[in-house]
Amino acid sequence: MLENAWLIPLFPLLSFLLLLFFGKQWKEKSSYVGIGFTGVSFLLSVIVLFTQIANGSGGADMVWLTIGQLEFRFGVIVTPLNALMLVIVSLVSFLVHIYSKGYMHSDERLTTFYSYLGLFTFAMLALVISPNLLQLYIFWELVGVGSFLLIGFYFYKEEAKAAAKKAFVMTRIGDVGLLIGMILLFWQVGSLEFNEIFAGVSGGEVPEGLLTLIAILIFVGAVGKSGQFPLHTWLPDAMEGPTPVSALIHAATMVAAGVYLVAALFPVFEASPAAMTVVAVVGGFTAIFAATIGLVQTDIKRVLAYSTVSQLGYMMMALGAAGYVAGVFHLMTHAFFKALLFLAAGSVIHAVHTQNIEKMGGLWTKMRITGPVFLIGTLAISGVPLFSGFFSKDEILLATWYDGRYGLFIIGLVAAFFTAFYMFRLFFMVFTGENRSALSEVRESSRSMTIPMVVLAFLAAFAGYINTPRFGTFLGDWLAGDSEFLPFEHHEGPVWVMLAASLIAFAGIGLAYLIYYKKSLQRDFLSSHMPATYTLVFNKYFIDEFYQYTVEYAARAVGYLGSFIEKYIVEVIVAAVAGVTRAAGSLGSKLQSGQVQTYGAMAFIGLAILVFLVVWTGGYL
Amino acid sequence: MDMETLLSYEWSMMAPEFTILIIATVLSLVDLFTDKKVDRKLFGWFGAAGIGIALIFLFSQIGHEPAMILANTYRLDAFSLSFKILLLIGALLVLLMGVSYEAKGELLYRGEFYYLLMSALLGAMMMASSADLITLFVGLELLSISSYILAGTRKKSTQSNEAAMKYVINGGISSAFTLFGLSYIYGLTGSTNLADISREISNIAPENGLVLLSIAFILTFVGLAFKISTVPFQMWAPDVYQGAPIPVTAFLSVVSKTAGFVIILRVLLSVFPFAQGLEANTSLLQSMMIFISVLAGITMIAGNTIALKQRNIKRLFAYSSIAHAGYLLVPFVAFSEMMFESMWFYLAAYLLMNIGAFAVIQVMSEHSHSEDISIFAGLFYRRPWVAVMMTIFLLSLAGIPGTAGFIGKLNIFIGALFSDPSRYILAAVMMGTTVISYFYYFGVMAQMFMRPSGSAAPIRMPVGVTIAMVFCAAGTITLGLFPGVVLEFFQTQFNFAEMFY
Repeated sequence: MLENAWLIPLFPLLSFLLLLFFGKQWKEKSSYVGIGFTGVSFLLSVIVLFTQIANGSGGADMVWLTIGQLEFRFGVIVTPLNALMLVIVSLVSFLVHIYSKGYMHSDERLTTFYSYLGLFTFAMLALVISPNLLQLYIFWELVGVGSFLLIGFYFYKEEAKAAAKKAFVMTRIGDVGLLIGMILLFWQVGSLEFNEIFAGVSGGEVPEGLLTLIAILIFVGAVGKSGQFPLHTWLPDAMEGPTPVSALIHAATMVAAGVYLVAALFPVFEASPAAMTVVAVVGGFTAIFAATIGLVQTDIKRVLAYSTVSQLGYMMMALGAAGYVAGVFHLMTHAFFKALLFLAAGSVIHAVHTQNIEKMGGLWTKMRITGPVFLIGTLAISGVPLFSGFFSKDEILLATWYDGRYGLFIIGLVAAFFTAFYMFRLFFMVFTGENRSALSEVRESSRSMTIPMVVLAFLAAFAGYINTPRFGTFLGDWLAGDSEFLPFEHHEGPVWVMLAASLIAFAGIGLAYLIYYKKSLQRDFLSSHMPATYTLVFNKYFIDEFYQYTVEYAARAVGYLGSFIEKYIVEVIVAAVAGVTRAAGSLGSKLQSGQVQTYGAMAFIGLAILVFLVVWTGGYL
Repeated sequence: MDMETLLSYEWSMMAPEFTILIIATVLSLVDLFTDKKVDRKLFGWFGAAGIGIALIFLFSQIGHEPAMILANTYRLDAFSLSFKILLLIGALLVLLMGVSYEAKGELLYRGEFYYLLMSALLGAMMMASSADLITLFVGLELLSISSYILAGTRKKSTQSNEAAMKYVINGGISSAFTLFGLSYIYGLTGSTNLADISREISNIAPENGLVLLSIAFILTFVGLAFKISTVPFQMWAPDVYQGAPIPVTAFLSVVSKTAGFVIILRVLLSVFPFAQGLEANTSLLQSMMIFISVLAGITMIAGNTIALKQRNIKRLFAYSSIAHAGYLLVPFVAFSEMMFESMWFYLAAYLLMNIGAFAVIQVMSEHSHSEDISIFAGLFYRRPWVAVMMTIFLLSLAGIPGTAGFIGKLNIFIGALFSDPSRYILAAVMMGTTVISYFYYFGVMAQMFMRPSGSAAPIRMPVGVTIAMVFCAAGTITLGLFPGVVLEFFQTQFNFAEMFY
């Protein structure tokens, strides 16, 4: 079965092609085509997963092209990591396909939407079974194209167009890094096959300094794709796309591709301690930086977007701290609970026709399915004990602790606190209190939207149990089990880490509860016991006058510091690069005067300069 | 030369050229004696059939031993064969576009268009097969003069007249440069025959001939740079491309450009690798590469940045084609063992994606009587097939994986990095400018997918241009997914060492 794993991406591709060519006739029936084909992919992925567990890794490949003496191959590979990714991607994609049937039902470009989804799913599935970097890069780019098309799906909105363009450009910057890193690696090792790269790196074929450079360049690619600082700005803007797309691409799968890349090339990173530190620090910084921005957002999808950036930072931090299993584990649990949160958010938006959380409220009683599943997702991401996020987050914190990165450990704890706080802020504002919506009647979404959410809620709650200190570390043993290049040691962590993580989560929830749920009662309490950290999570709508004059500005300053860096530093650099390019363009067009004499003169001047140089230097230029 | 020698030549070697010559002659005569009102469309299909026959002759020659006839002025070798295939296929596709070209009242003398295209093609083929400076130059001028007229075939359009005028003036300057350079070569070696030149030139002592040879090199290269539209001889391209009828623009940007590369390779590689360079054990060609490398870099930067500012789709493609000429110089500079392979493959890919794109441009601009990029607005929602094909061409031009353009760029890139000495700066410039090019290619894509469509009028898809479009799209994808098929054929069938004497 494993050598036939290439069949898996083919089904979504088929769906894409069929819808492209016959979609016009099928209209609404298109959704069934999309759902059917991705369903088959999902089934095959599950079979592949179990075959892998039973029989070990495998794959197949063939020569694709020969350039000079160099050979490039094309094929598939199924290792534990690939198999896990296959299941995650195909499952989330399958569920999103079903969900979209309800969410997009009134859109007249439904067929186009499903065909784009098919294209994206194809590229993403093909990416995760690539046995070499070149093939991975090809699908890496294709995934970007799919994301571009889907972000800009509502192209009649200016914001959507701008967001699509921005996403494309920002990730492209990262891709250049990846490409250069790849080329350098190829130069040194002479192959792009993962196995040969690992053998070459562990055999010491690559000098230490160069290896660090290569690893960092590859990481730059991951930074672009996974929205890590400073290339993260496209991801919140990408929320202009339809919500199912945000769930599939900008939460569960494509943005996790950066993390997957680092995980897939883990032996390369591991060989360079400096690169590992870069990964860990960038990840840790992103985790806390994005979390602070999440505190002050009022758009439900933007809160989730910054949360995604922050959680991806978490995964990077884990990988950088040698926590291979921790990073991949969190990737998996995050895929489930974040897809769930986005789908639930979509269900809310569908019901109240706004994304502004200040115009929601009191939806718990009206949306009897969306409310509870959103709560499960919130509990999972906040790291409440016994939910999936708790176990994976705990694993990450342990990894940083054992790697001796105590600073990052503390950052991890603080970020966890923020996460719990802003997620419950979101929950309380949307589902409790009185209805601030302009709509009088709010109804629960249709069956096709609620069923995928329920499935994901189940996974968000229980997926953590495949790797726990108490019930066995099945995932960890399996992931690192059959590769000679992956060291795995599970840390039987001190109990206090787990306790601290739980307490932090509860503290964040508690604070959110006090402010956003029991607000009328607790204002006095908060005003007199203002902890310093509160200034970070301050929000202007739920405090009285007194606070507005004492801490609001400080809180805003901290909260908006992130936005500030983003607006005035990161974007200025990007704009400067674009400006120089554009200036060169204008200069060139100015010379193009339309005067044929000028053209002749330019050619002559060019020739004269060249001849002069030859004669002057005697040819030694 | 007596009759006996003439008869002893293996004339079948020139069968493809003769076919084209016969077609061109017949077409011009028929055109002369046919009533003005008769539709000349049939000429196009006749011409296409002729090119088809020439292609069959050409394929039957593959594997032929290198040979020369006509007092060593005409040469059949792997080099000429492989590039003539590209020239013929390119011209065939352009012809198919021409048959469907219907812009109102523009092509008053349609017959001329067909036989001038044939004579231009004949000139290009002669350039590929010549082994003598004189015949090379005659081939070059045949191509050039035919192209000048072709650029002006929209007789009532001032833009077209302007284009022809500018083209002829700049072309004249470039011919002067080229001839000047060739005359130095002749002066130093005493022969116009490339085989003789390559023998003689190695005898020239560096202290005597080095400066003169260097100047000859620069003059020849700059003069020929006109045909491939690279710096410093690129400025004519946007104006001429814009003014010429679209099939002619496609011809200039693909077939004429390919012929330009062919003559550059033929002349420069037959002469300069054998001349003593600045340092011992280096050839003059290697010493001069630094100049070409700088020119290639400037070309890539200029072409790609100026393209960003363009709203006229034909001008945009003119700058894009300047940039592609810059990419194509990279393997020449790297001069690795894969040079021919890289250039040939890239030219093949470029042929498919560029003619394909021009075919779509032709359909769209005829439909909306405009050349602004907004003519593509909402194409995906009106003609999804056409939009998908245009997307394939644009992705390939941008060098996105899965397309021929990607494999071509990869090939060039690897050649530049792994050559000795490694041309990594040039490779880096190429990569950087490729990224810049994404912006303008994706600008067109954004029009197709992310703009509401302006009009709902059905888009006419004439059969000729549709065939060209589908062929190019299929080719672009095939070369992108299974490059091995073509590359292997190329590696086994063509031995480029044959090129040297």
